[in-house]
Amino acid sequence: MSTILDIAGFSLDYATPAGFARALDDVSLSIAKGEVLGLVGESGSGKTSLAWAIMRYLPASARETGSIQLTGKDLLKASESEIEAIRGRRIGMVFQDPSTSLNPTLPLGEQLAEVLVRHRGLTRKQAWAEGEERLAHVGLKVPRQMMRRYPHEASGGEKQRVVIATAFACQPECIIFDEPTTALDVITARQILDLFKALQEETGVASLYISHDLALVSQIATKVAVIHRGGIVEQGAVGEVFARPQDAYTKKLLAAVPRPEHRLVETEAPKASTPLVEVEKVSVFYGRKPFLGGLLGRANTQFTGNREVSLSVMPGEILGIVGESGSGKSTLAKAMTGLNRFEGEIRFAGRRITGLADMDRAYRRDVQIIFQHPDSSLNPRQRIREILSRPLALYGEPGARRDAARIGELLEQVRLPASYAERYPHQLSGGEKQRVAIARAFASRPKLVICDEITSALDVSVQASVVELLVDLQKRFGTAYLFITHDLNLVRQIAHRIAVMYRGDLVDLVDVAALSGGDLHPYTRSLLAAVPAPATAAA
Amino acid sequence: MIEILRRMLRSPQGALGLVIVGLILLVVIVGPAFAPYDPEKMAPLMRYKPPSAQFWLGTDQYGRDILSRLLHGARATVLLAVLATALGTLVGAVVGTVSAFLGGRSDEAIMRTVDAIMSIPSLLLALLIVNLLGKSSVNALFAIALAFAPGMARVTRSVALAVRKQDYVNAAIARGESAGFIVSREMLPNVVAPIIVEMTIRVAFAVMLFATLSFLGLGAQPPASEWGLMVSEARRFMHLSAWMILWPSLAIALVAIGFNLLGDGLRDALNPRT
Repeated sequence: MSTILDIAGFSLDYATPAGFARALDDVSLSIAKGEVLGLVGESGSGKTSLAWAIMRYLPASARETGSIQLTGKDLLKASESEIEAIRGRRIGMVFQDPSTSLNPTLPLGEQLAEVLVRHRGLTRKQAWAEGEERLAHVGLKVPRQMMRRYPHEASGGEKQRVVIATAFACQPECIIFDEPTTALDVITARQILDLFKALQEETGVASLYISHDLALVSQIATKVAVIHRGGIVEQGAVGEVFARPQDAYTKKLLAAVPRPEHRLVETEAPKASTPLVEVEKVSVFYGRKPFLGGLLGRANTQFTGNREVSLSVMPGEILGIVGESGSGKSTLAKAMTGLNRFEGEIRFAGRRITGLADMDRAYRRDVQIIFQHPDSSLNPRQRIREILSRPLALYGEPGARRDAARIGELLEQVRLPASYAERYPHQLSGGEKQRVAIARAFASRPKLVICDEITSALDVSVQASVVELLVDLQKRFGTAYLFITHDLNLVRQIAHRIAVMYRGDLVDLVDVAALSGGDLHPYTRSLLAAVPAPATAAA
Repeated sequence: MIEILRRMLRSPQGALGLVIVGLILLVVIVGPAFAPYDPEKMAPLMRYKPPSAQFWLGTDQYGRDILSRLLHGARATVLLAVLATALGTLVGAVVGTVSAFLGGRSDEAIMRTVDAIMSIPSLLLALLIVNLLGKSSVNALFAIALAFAPGMARVTRSVALAVRKQDYVNAAIARGESAGFIVSREMLPNVVAPIIVEMTIRVAFAVMLFATLSFLGLGAQPPASEWGLMVSEARRFMHLSAWMILWPSLAIALVAIGFNLLGDGLRDALNPRT
């Protein structure tokens, strides 16, 4: 096997007003023909900087040392015109989000054909025919029509297939995949992965597969490199690294991966006779009813977010809601917190709630929501102290304490130092911000907390500590959770029951134990089959 | 605050803008004390004098010292322009943010009204208001504020719409906060930066609009030394002494340029990503 890409002692610094910031530190990697090197690391570890360094597309503030060789040619010393001939021709790249990596104003075929014309010297007619063949090759059903479609007329999976077809179009020696499935739904991601494997075996291209997902890398890569703060801490064959990790950071990363068989709460839900909250045939429609539309005989153009969803949560129970994006998980959460209008009714602690007007202070105190992105759920212009004092001011009984000591207690409850009260959100890390959001939700001692994808914006190791905190709080206060997520492995660790949503409908509502067998909706089954097994399965 | 100042000083337009606006504000505050003559003291024997050691910037048709008049007039011109812009901005910002917060039909109604007002050129609108309320500096101030409010409402709304979608606003609604609290404490602080930038640029427009109104005889009234009025009066004597029209025009231009540069610098300083 010949080495295609060889990176030796490569370091990268960015010049900032405060001096040089090191992005990559003495990185050495090599990929041979037919190999897949999985590069695993958390956000900010320098994965993407490395990808851009290989593509020779760095900002002017970058300073480099070391070498990056493509079949013996040092890319660092190559001239601009040589690089242009290499980019796309000999090194391809597949980006994370197909909806931003394709030009929305050009048909898909145009974008694919351009690469063929540019790098293989085909005429436009030949390129178009070749493009059709390429699209058929990546498993698109109607390549002829697909060539003419614009990006907005194709689904995310179809778009990513086109991007992959483009990357493979010139038979490059090396392709960089930068988290190609992160922006896709679980089932689509699975299909893209299968396609990747098939193409990889067929062409024998040397692949650099960048990902934060250990489970996924363990399935597709032949070698793996773990990157932490710009430095490679460990690399080797996949089985070797995952079975016998040497470095402390790798061990920590592996331990943080959620495993369904490793339960964090008791499987038995707390016994209670009456449910805490019952959602009865709740439907949500987006868009206004067209004014005069009925009179003019126009069709109702409203979009359905939820269709007659019914479920109930027991006191102290963790109910997981899973489904792909757009399945109506968050819509339901928003309806329950009064952010969306809904039809149907919600019964909470014996009270009937049929609309926003029924959600009084008592209801809002008992039902709290935590959002996905801590960056946007904390007001950047308020100090942590102000953020945490609002629920106390709104729901506190007249005699309740609202002083600095109480804020400190709230912070310590989520394992943050009390001194954080005087900070602004931007002075905190992502995980810390999410802890503040959790502290805010728990300030009013709610009975139900709705967690809307609260860990999906966080890194694996941070996610593990946030989940642990939630489980701990649940044990202390007996709070019920509505835990919305797309991560089946995670939800199987903590939920008592799991609800599966698909295109606005609730298709399954089962005990977590029943997931491994039993009578399931076909969609639930395909969802389960698509989830990559956790990392040690490869060992 | 100090951080923003430091970042502004780093960019050439920000530094220059700060210097010019600083000088103008200095003149506004202590200018009259340094005026060599009484701005309204007439001297029939000293009319249409070009700049000299005695009268640095020359004299006008009544023999009044132009430098003294400029120093005294700065207060009326710049202060009124800043006040008018601030008032218009405040009204516009609140209307825009409320509109973005309410959304739906209320938003539609508010913004279409704003569109209707915006379709009238601001000078015409200001003329109309001054004509209705009567000629005076204070009325001109209100006219300019009102003429500026719709534009500011539009700018604010576009920023506030993005803020409205942020989860901290959702969180506040889910928490059961009042509409007043959400608009004033959650949303307004987050739309302030682009508004301040827009405001500094508009001060320049306000100075010119003020000058235009005075020039047309609808703002400040003689013998006030408002700069626009000075240009207007000097127009008739242009062939006798070009200096008379040159100095106040230059002063107006300097204020406009200074605030424009300050706005540019502020925009870069408040948004370090661009």
